[in-house]
Amino acid sequence: MEKTGKKIVIGHLYPDLLNLYGDRGNIACMMQRCIWRGIDAETVEFNTGDTIDFSKLDIVLLGGGSDREQAIVCGNLLKIREQFREYVEDGGVVIAVCGGYQLLGKYYKTEQGMIEGLNLVDIYTEQEEGRLIDNIVLKSDLADMPVVGFENHGGRTCINDNKPFGKVLYGSGNDGKSGYEGVVYKNVIGTYLHGPLLPKNPQICDYLIRKALERKYGPTELAALNDSQEEAANAYIYHRFVKE
Amino acid sequence: MLAVWAAKITEKVSVHVFHRQGVTWAGKIALRICPSILRDLAGQVKKDIFIVCGTNGKTTTNNMLCAAMEAEGYRVVCNHTGSNMLNGVAAAFALSAGIGGNLKADYACIEIDEASTRRVFPHFKPDYMVLTNLFRDQLDRYGEIDITMNILKEVMQSAPEMKVIVNGDDALSAYLAMDSGNDYVTYGISEQVTDDADSREIREGRFCKCCGAPLSYRFYHYSQLGDYACTQCDFRRPDIRFDAGDVEIGDGLAFTVEGNRIRANYKGFYNVYNILAAYAAMRTGGLKAGHFNEMLSRFNPENGRMESFRIQNVKVTLNLAKNPAGFNQNISAVMQDEALKDIIIVINDNAQDGTDVSWLWDVDFDRFKEDKIRSITVSGIRCYDMGLRMKYVDIPAMSEPDVEKAIRQRIADGCGNLYVLVNYTALFSTRNVLKRLEGEK
Repeated sequence: MEKTGKKIVIGHLYPDLLNLYGDRGNIACMMQRCIWRGIDAETVEFNTGDTIDFSKLDIVLLGGGSDREQAIVCGNLLKIREQFREYVEDGGVVIAVCGGYQLLGKYYKTEQGMIEGLNLVDIYTEQEEGRLIDNIVLKSDLADMPVVGFENHGGRTCINDNKPFGKVLYGSGNDGKSGYEGVVYKNVIGTYLHGPLLPKNPQICDYLIRKALERKYGPTELAALNDSQEEAANAYIYHRFVKE
Repeated sequence: MLAVWAAKITEKVSVHVFHRQGVTWAGKIALRICPSILRDLAGQVKKDIFIVCGTNGKTTTNNMLCAAMEAEGYRVVCNHTGSNMLNGVAAAFALSAGIGGNLKADYACIEIDEASTRRVFPHFKPDYMVLTNLFRDQLDRYGEIDITMNILKEVMQSAPEMKVIVNGDDALSAYLAMDSGNDYVTYGISEQVTDDADSREIREGRFCKCCGAPLSYRFYHYSQLGDYACTQCDFRRPDIRFDAGDVEIGDGLAFTVEGNRIRANYKGFYNVYNILAAYAAMRTGGLKAGHFNEMLSRFNPENGRMESFRIQNVKVTLNLAKNPAGFNQNISAVMQDEALKDIIIVINDNAQDGTDVSWLWDVDFDRFKEDKIRSITVSGIRCYDMGLRMKYVDIPAMSEPDVEKAIRQRIADGCGNLYVLVNYTALFSTRNVLKRLEGEK
């Protein structure tokens, strides 16, 4: 593949604490889909206590962790809240999954107490009886293909008037009642979908890459890739769980 | 007595008529007829009841402990097939009882699924618990590791007389043993055996369970097993009572404990821990282990743990791998065989496997790039996920959802050395296929 001279830097936040549910798959997917197109890609890991220079990042991944670990992360995140907010308001790309999604909001109320969030998006989460655990299928405006994944969360997220990531075709979504899943705010996607999210949803992955490239280099067309394997994996889940 | 009969009949019928694992049914029916059957039969065990818990190594450790006791001349009740929930445990006792409802057993060796301990402990209180390790496994079923630890702590405290035989190299298991208040003894490996510092492997429990500060490691064996100490408080790896020294890992395994050289013809570092755990349990229970090596030389797990088959001159090795720590260890074991090989990976997502297959992305499959591999085939219900997993580390793989077809193809066109790596529910069906093909001319 001919080099495009372009480069994407992915910041993986707190992999020492937030590393549940195959988050590494989301990183691998973004990296490879850049590299296969001749776009240089680099991932920088920031562990708890590290200083983060958001001006050097093009995509930020905030992954999932257990409730206990999330509480530890939260203390660290509050220290970088202002820089993180500037990054988001400036159109910085963020993909936040599970625990990371909950941390985007005002707070996450659990039985053990209140975890203060980053307050980057006007949403909040409260723990309720029973975890929502199953495969999940969405229809999202960000992709032609359905979005498929797996959800496993005790928190119910209220997204107020924000735009959801998708409409639930199978599964529970944000709260098991509203019929919607996740949130989209500027170039931020927050979602409960892991599995991990991106390998079976290559159009979502490309959406993130395109947004990051456009912010850095202006209008961008991504070269097409052979996604037959991704499409087969996606179609399998869709047809197994969604009755037409 | 009726319950024992019913269990025996159910087991025979389901195995011979339905060709399936009938053990769980047998236990269910026995408990339905006589709810106190497990308490009654467990009460008849003459000496001690050992249970084995922990994420990985339960079945091998438990079966090895049973074989070691039998080698010393004792009669032992054991749930050999690995049916480790309440019904499986009840079945093990019911099927060992005589038709008069009497149990003639000196010891019991029972593996119990961690989450099922809560349902088993009301029936009997074990004398010893072996705790092998705690890794992430089936997050959709058990929730987080913290939840499993809470369950185990609760059952340990419900049996304060029970002594815990714990893997001291695992900070999570060791903390649990210390925190429970139960008496405990440790086993472990105090010397560095492999160079695992650069591994990208996911490590659980990087933070001290006592105070939340990061743990520092002198070395890792694999996953989070190693020599650790808290950077803030006094929590550290406990002193090791049964310490394996001069560890050799290659085509076979060897180590020295209590001055005895132990040798086994198996692969895989994790088997050092399995053997050491069984040895430590024997000795802690006050038994001699004079026939331990003899037992190991005869020991054939025959349950899909590095089990060998020969099909039309192809050497086939079947191995179970159901979570990231187990799979990473399996990859190491496969790579210890330096010959060219074909690999089939079978991944299902049935309830017993865990319906969430995201753990595949926590396994270091990229290490296969350094191995001499002729082909990789992905199979099973979630073969497409597995195929993508390989694609994103740039390793080509063929997809064939049907396991039997995949095996037949690689037998026909492969290099004569085939590894079949399977997760839990794929184990029984794959093993049946291999047994049948082995019988075909």
